[in-house]
Amino acid sequence: MSEPFEPKIIAFVCTYCTYAGADLAGTSRLKYAPNVRIIRLPCTGRISPMFILKALQKGADGVLISGCHPGDCHFTHGNYHARRRWMVFRALLDFIGIPPERVKYSWISAAEGVKFAEFINSVTNDIRKLGPFEQYSQLIEQTQAPASL
Amino acid sequence: MSIEEQYRKRAMELLSGGAVKMVIGYGRGSNAERRRPVFISSPEEVNRLVLDEACIANLSGYLVNEGLLSDEKRVAVFLRPEGIRAINILAAESQLDAEQIVIFGFDVSGNEVKALKGIHVEEFEDVIGAIKEHAPEMGNEELLEKIEQMNPQERFAFWKEEFAKCIKCYACRQACPMCYCRRCIVDSNQPQWVNTSSHSLGNFEWNIVRAFHLSGRCVECGNCDRACPVNIPLRLINHRMAQEVLKSFDHFAGMSKTQEPVLASFKKDDSETFIL
Amino acid sequence: MAKIGVFICHCGENVGAKVDCTKLAAALGDHPGVAVSVEYKYFCSDPGQESVKKAIRDNNLTGVVVAACSPRMHEATFRKACAEAGLNPYLCEIANIREQCSWVHTDKDLATEKAMDITRSMVEKVKRNNKLQPIEVPVTRRALVIGGGIAGIQAALDIANAGQDVVLVEREPSLGGHMAQLSETFPTLDCSQCIMTPRMVEAAQHPKIRLLTYSEIESVDGYIGNFTVRVRMKSRYVDIDKCTGCGDCITKCPAKKISSEFDCSLGKRTAIYTPFAQSVPNIPVIDKANCIYFKNGKCKICAKTCQCDAINFDMPDTFVDLEVGAIVVATGFQVQNNSLYGEYGYGKYPDVINGLQFERLASASGPTAGKIMRPSDGAEPQTVVFIQCAGSRDPSKGVRYCSKICCMYTAKHAMLYAHKVHDGKTHIFYMDIRAAGKGYDEFSRRAIEEDEAAYIRGRVSKVWQENGKLMVRGVDTLLGKPVEIAADMVVLATAIVAQPDAKEFAKTIGIGYDEYGFYNEAHLKLRPVESSTAGVFLAGACQSPKDIPDSVAQASATASKVLALFSKDKLEREPVVATNNEVTCAGCWGCVLACPYNAIEKKDIVDRSGRVIKRVASINPGLCQGCGTCVTFCRSNSIDLAGFTEKQIFAEVMGL
Repeated sequence: MSEPFEPKIIAFVCTYCTYAGADLAGTSRLKYAPNVRIIRLPCTGRISPMFILKALQKGADGVLISGCHPGDCHFTHGNYHARRRWMVFRALLDFIGIPPERVKYSWISAAEGVKFAEFINSVTNDIRKLGPFEQYSQLIEQTQAPASL
Repeated sequence: MSIEEQYRKRAMELLSGGAVKMVIGYGRGSNAERRRPVFISSPEEVNRLVLDEACIANLSGYLVNEGLLSDEKRVAVFLRPEGIRAINILAAESQLDAEQIVIFGFDVSGNEVKALKGIHVEEFEDVIGAIKEHAPEMGNEELLEKIEQMNPQERFAFWKEEFAKCIKCYACRQACPMCYCRRCIVDSNQPQWVNTSSHSLGNFEWNIVRAFHLSGRCVECGNCDRACPVNIPLRLINHRMAQEVLKSFDHFAGMSKTQEPVLASFKKDDSETFIL
Repeated sequence: MAKIGVFICHCGENVGAKVDCTKLAAALGDHPGVAVSVEYKYFCSDPGQESVKKAIRDNNLTGVVVAACSPRMHEATFRKACAEAGLNPYLCEIANIREQCSWVHTDKDLATEKAMDITRSMVEKVKRNNKLQPIEVPVTRRALVIGGGIAGIQAALDIANAGQDVVLVEREPSLGGHMAQLSETFPTLDCSQCIMTPRMVEAAQHPKIRLLTYSEIESVDGYIGNFTVRVRMKSRYVDIDKCTGCGDCITKCPAKKISSEFDCSLGKRTAIYTPFAQSVPNIPVIDKANCIYFKNGKCKICAKTCQCDAINFDMPDTFVDLEVGAIVVATGFQVQNNSLYGEYGYGKYPDVINGLQFERLASASGPTAGKIMRPSDGAEPQTVVFIQCAGSRDPSKGVRYCSKICCMYTAKHAMLYAHKVHDGKTHIFYMDIRAAGKGYDEFSRRAIEEDEAAYIRGRVSKVWQENGKLMVRGVDTLLGKPVEIAADMVVLATAIVAQPDAKEFAKTIGIGYDEYGFYNEAHLKLRPVESSTAGVFLAGACQSPKDIPDSVAQASATASKVLALFSKDKLEREPVVATNNEVTCAGCWGCVLACPYNAIEKKDIVDRSGRVIKRVASINPGLCQGCGTCVTFCRSNSIDLAGFTEKQIFAEVMGL
């Protein structure tokens, strides 16, 4: 019996809402799956589609993006801009064959520690079921050039 | 008088009267089926202009060549409806002043070339509106349908095979009127977001980024398709993205010269069904 | 060559119990570029911080990563420690291995592995951090207050009394705003003009306040600390320096039948006029649209009457350019047009009036000298019906929100009426009585208990005229019965709405507004008097419907914000701002549109002969708040955000 597959997940979150929500999950001592690595940005408006591609290049089986609920953005409309961008980028990934199930989006406020923990758990489970993103890792394997900095 | 003759006459008048400094149009190409762009700046040369169903390239990209419009003189250009939409986008994105552009509009249906009425870009809004309502056939509908039917793995495999052909020559970028950046993101190496080698990952990233940058901006003129030396169906991706912005945001690229770029604007009630 | 110090904090048992800190320190010690990797029980303690400082000095560290609690806890602490050790504070980053690792995971091996990833990723980021300096912006110590109602006056006085210069701009001929129109004020029933006019005079005579009445804002440019504002001083046709305010011209003016705006059409005024007797300044203006000379080319009686030669029919509008460091917007509100409610007969029956008109009727300086007389025939009404929420809380016809002041002023109206018409009857239709505020509930109880206002919970469906009476049909929802009242006068508590040009004006100054045209605060709870544009503050009802105490409180709050801004010669800001590479910028200006703070401007780059050779986007560090939306939009990758640069984030991802 092989061990169950543990996905690698990279999350991009805004500092004012979701990052604070993740901190709240911590101070509330909630427990969730340890598969996610968080990268903190000032605002969801700062999250570029390039980040998602680079996360996939680093072997992420799933990518999470999360920020303030509409209307709550610290920067007033960064999340509205982000929402449009994701709508478009999601369709593009889908058309290219990168399953939208591997890139998840959510709104999590600074007060939603519970939602954060549940979100991480459910996404980890979902990606676990999808299995490793083999097609993309094949792309990477075929790529001899190391990641350039 | 044929349209070709009419437009030659008009070009002659504009050039000799000094109303425009140049006419960008089509001339004879390397064989009977091909047309190449010509840049006419003296009235004696107007007979080089050709207008027939073989005139398919979108010439709008030449207008943003550095320095061409900076003397604030007018330039005339032969444009199909896609090209006219491109003028609107270039104006909306501050790449040119629409007042400087004199349009020789035409469209081809079957073998027939017909003139489009108007000189300035604002006068073509009805033509563009009609295309928004009834998009002309692109000839790639069957392939699009086939791809939509595939599951993600098959789609991935399909594009992997297509992109494998890419040699990163950037002809698509060169031919596209919307790729006017002085420095493309792919040429930025601090950091190197896009792998520049033409290996499978680099090709994937490049084509995804280009499609994303054209989302809501592509007028589907097909310059990229024709430029691609390895025949990747590039327009198909852009077409799919155009469908997406139309469906999601009712945005039809190039409707007017004051249209807000779709990704630099938003509505508070934009769809967010995918957000948990 | 990077020499990064990694400091792993056990946080007592908080981190240590779930993350193997020794293993973590060893792993990071092997990471390229890491010069020091140590663990300690409490790095935030004094000895802990001292050890960080010592390590920086001893090893000439080029960057510091503290793997500990959330950066929201101690980022500032450790950045300060770094600065004290001579390291630029922005070369210090926190790896969050407590809130987002040890506290939320149970498996020690997995938690340790995650902590390694988090810390490594942060080391990769820090290697690419840049030394940043706080942004310094010079501050012009002069405030502009827009709007001369109670909020604007209060803000201007507070700022001026602290010794700073203020320019107070009012578009009407006189200071005063809506408060000057009111009769008495709740909950104390002191006369509005008695408390308002001294404030108006004080503002006008204050040596630190420059008063520009009958003036409007033409344009606003610049940014916090450095605004340039152009004000249009509309021509009064009366020389403000020569006029003594004797009022002879007003008495002699033959055009006497002009409906008075100040009296809400219940009174008349002349073509040369001051809005009310206590106007500040007491200098008349000529209403060009109604002046006989301007209409027919003949008259000039005022000019002949004037002994000071103050009247000049050729006077043009003039412009004043101001340099100011802060702007207080106190542009107030208007009452909604009641004709939305055709069934209440406003505009059709003269005795159906709105709350503001009732104020004028009840005011001692009003058109009836404070006697309650109905507009149709001047008779004293014996029965008055008040209809609350005539527009407010009515999404179908009016506005969705509560106008906040109507419950209180309607109770006040009932009291004033009872005090003046001793045997009169009042009926008040209401939805809820919202009387939250100091002395407010007591006040509305007094209206009911002492002054016998009959409150009927329910809505009115129709008002019509019958036998010289206004018939009011409504429903008493507590009794579950329809009610019909024969009234002599009906007073509608109309909704408070934004000024008609509020949205346009918001665009002029570059601030946000809501769907109704009320101005948006930067944060509803924590930054309620700041607009989203740095250096522009909001006071009074332009932000939302407000009563006098709230408007005054908010105005004083804006004054304290302005004074805090003026307390230094230079303004220091976090250097997390966007910068644009003008060489690679394609000038598409999508970022200009996308920026929520209007911080990006279009800029022409010209050659020596002045010819435009390139057009680019230019980011104003004074206005940029550092969200990074523009960075993501920029296709040519020309814009970057300090502190969260493309290189840093790329490295963070690649470090995972």
